[in-house]
Amino acid sequence: MKSTLKNPYVYAMFVLPTLLLYCLFFIYPMASSSFYAFTDWNGLEDYSFIGFDNFTTAFNDPDFRNAIVNNMYFILFSVFIQVPLIIFFAILIGQIKRFQGFYKTTVFIPSILSTSVIGILWGFIYEPEIGPLNKLLSVFGIDPIYWLADTKWAMVSVLAANAWQWMGFYIVLVLAAILAIPREVNEAAEIDGASGRQRALLITVPLIRPIISVVIMLSIAGAMRVVDIILVMTKGGPVGSTEVMASYLVNEAMGVDPNYGFGTAISLIIFAFALVLTALYQLTFGRNQGGND
Amino acid sequence: MQPLLKRTQPAVRNRVVVPKKVKRVLPHVVLMAYVAVILFPFIFVVFSSLKESNLEIAAHPFGFPTKLYFHNYVEAWVKAKISVYFWNSLYLSVSSSVVGVLLAAGTAFALTRMKLLRTSKMIYQFVLIGMLIPGNVLFIAQYVLVMKMGILNTHWALFLPYTAGALPLSVLLIAAFMRNIPTDLEEAAVVDGMGAIRMFLVLILPLTLPALVTVFIVNFLGVWNEYLLANFFISKDALKTLPTGMVGFRDAFQTNYALICTGIVFSVTPVLVIYAFLQEKIIEGITAGSVKG
Repeated sequence: MKSTLKNPYVYAMFVLPTLLLYCLFFIYPMASSSFYAFTDWNGLEDYSFIGFDNFTTAFNDPDFRNAIVNNMYFILFSVFIQVPLIIFFAILIGQIKRFQGFYKTTVFIPSILSTSVIGILWGFIYEPEIGPLNKLLSVFGIDPIYWLADTKWAMVSVLAANAWQWMGFYIVLVLAAILAIPREVNEAAEIDGASGRQRALLITVPLIRPIISVVIMLSIAGAMRVVDIILVMTKGGPVGSTEVMASYLVNEAMGVDPNYGFGTAISLIIFAFALVLTALYQLTFGRNQGGND
Repeated sequence: MQPLLKRTQPAVRNRVVVPKKVKRVLPHVVLMAYVAVILFPFIFVVFSSLKESNLEIAAHPFGFPTKLYFHNYVEAWVKAKISVYFWNSLYLSVSSSVVGVLLAAGTAFALTRMKLLRTSKMIYQFVLIGMLIPGNVLFIAQYVLVMKMGILNTHWALFLPYTAGALPLSVLLIAAFMRNIPTDLEEAAVVDGMGAIRMFLVLILPLTLPALVTVFIVNFLGVWNEYLLANFFISKDALKTLPTGMVGFRDAFQTNYALICTGIVFSVTPVLVIYAFLQEKIIEGITAGSVKG
């Protein structure tokens, strides 16, 4: 009678399809990546082991080092420009009552859209001749700027488009944490005469530190992964000024002359970077989160 | 709180006396500016899609179209094959999300409700490893795998990795939900002689519906927007999905921005319509997915 929930065959029927797919498309690729990364395999059947050559080649390539630096720009931009703005807007939305729902749903919109479509859309906005941004600037007498074709501007332009896409998502995350703070805390502070700014900086921010920490970690992980928007908007150019690790991987490994061994080595490097950075963050800043409690 | 505040703190005032009205309106002004930045590109794209040519866009970039020109919509849908991309995206997103949700629900049922506890614990941990591996680390290895399976350039090449890729998070979210369903019902059902499979289909699945919907939406959006795999695993134009089809479309009509904008409208509208109806669910699903991930 009880055995129906203990029947191993029924259990297997429920579990096996998932496990099969999971092993085939997660575990096996992970294992094969770690294997191919040490070979010079280029898609043909014969290959040889070349030890750490792929890794040293990558780190000796100035283009790859440049890509790492560009990934760091993504991280720095997220942490030092996006995150403060995210907190600012979230607090602002959190303390008003009217239209709160409207603001929340509107700012979230870009994060449900395809990155490639957003890349195309912003490509149009940045268009030098007829794009609205230059049209707007021309009102102030500013000459057309080749946003995506000028090495000075390309990175900033991509960063701005990327921020436009993702800020709303994080704002909603932080907002949820702000709204979870018991009302009494803020009311008590108000009675004690704390101004709006004091309440935001001395009460709200310390109370939402855990979620800020999550946002920073997600931003770091996101910055290490960023690739779609680069491929769609600039393909890493002009002259590598927007090349990131993942776009370097795509350009090097999947081009006309594929090099899967090298490509998998790069993916492992990206994976390792992401792990190390999040671990470092956890050990330094992440650890004392909640220390004020 | 208001009366109490007045009685106890009559003298406290901000040092800089800001008129109350300004203080109330200011956050809205700032937030409206942000909302404008979010919405402007969409409005701009819709306007441009109704204009006849680049000349008209260039002449009055910010104005309403002088004459509503719907021809772009016909041309994009029929000639530029947006309709093909659209249906490819739709059926891949729906099929892969439905299959993924059902597989994950079955697995979650076995893991949380069936009595093979030790096995369940191991399998659960094993599946969670998948959450640590960022998607595009596996990209090349998956490409090689798909190539070896001989399904490159078929929709299977996307359907299988998409479905598999969503499994770890889906299992996690659905299992978390199922754990909270009381066991009384099942005990009664077992006494009545109900088998595990019927119990899953008739009893547990309907109760889990809210979680299933959330997971479905997250997976649907993920597939609808996916670019990297779609770009490299499919090269036949007739099989392309919207994100990659749109990029090809842009590259083909590089100079015709009115037509490109029409394409953007086609690819963005379905998502926005779904969002209009299910915003709470979508926000909940996407944020839950990221924080737990």
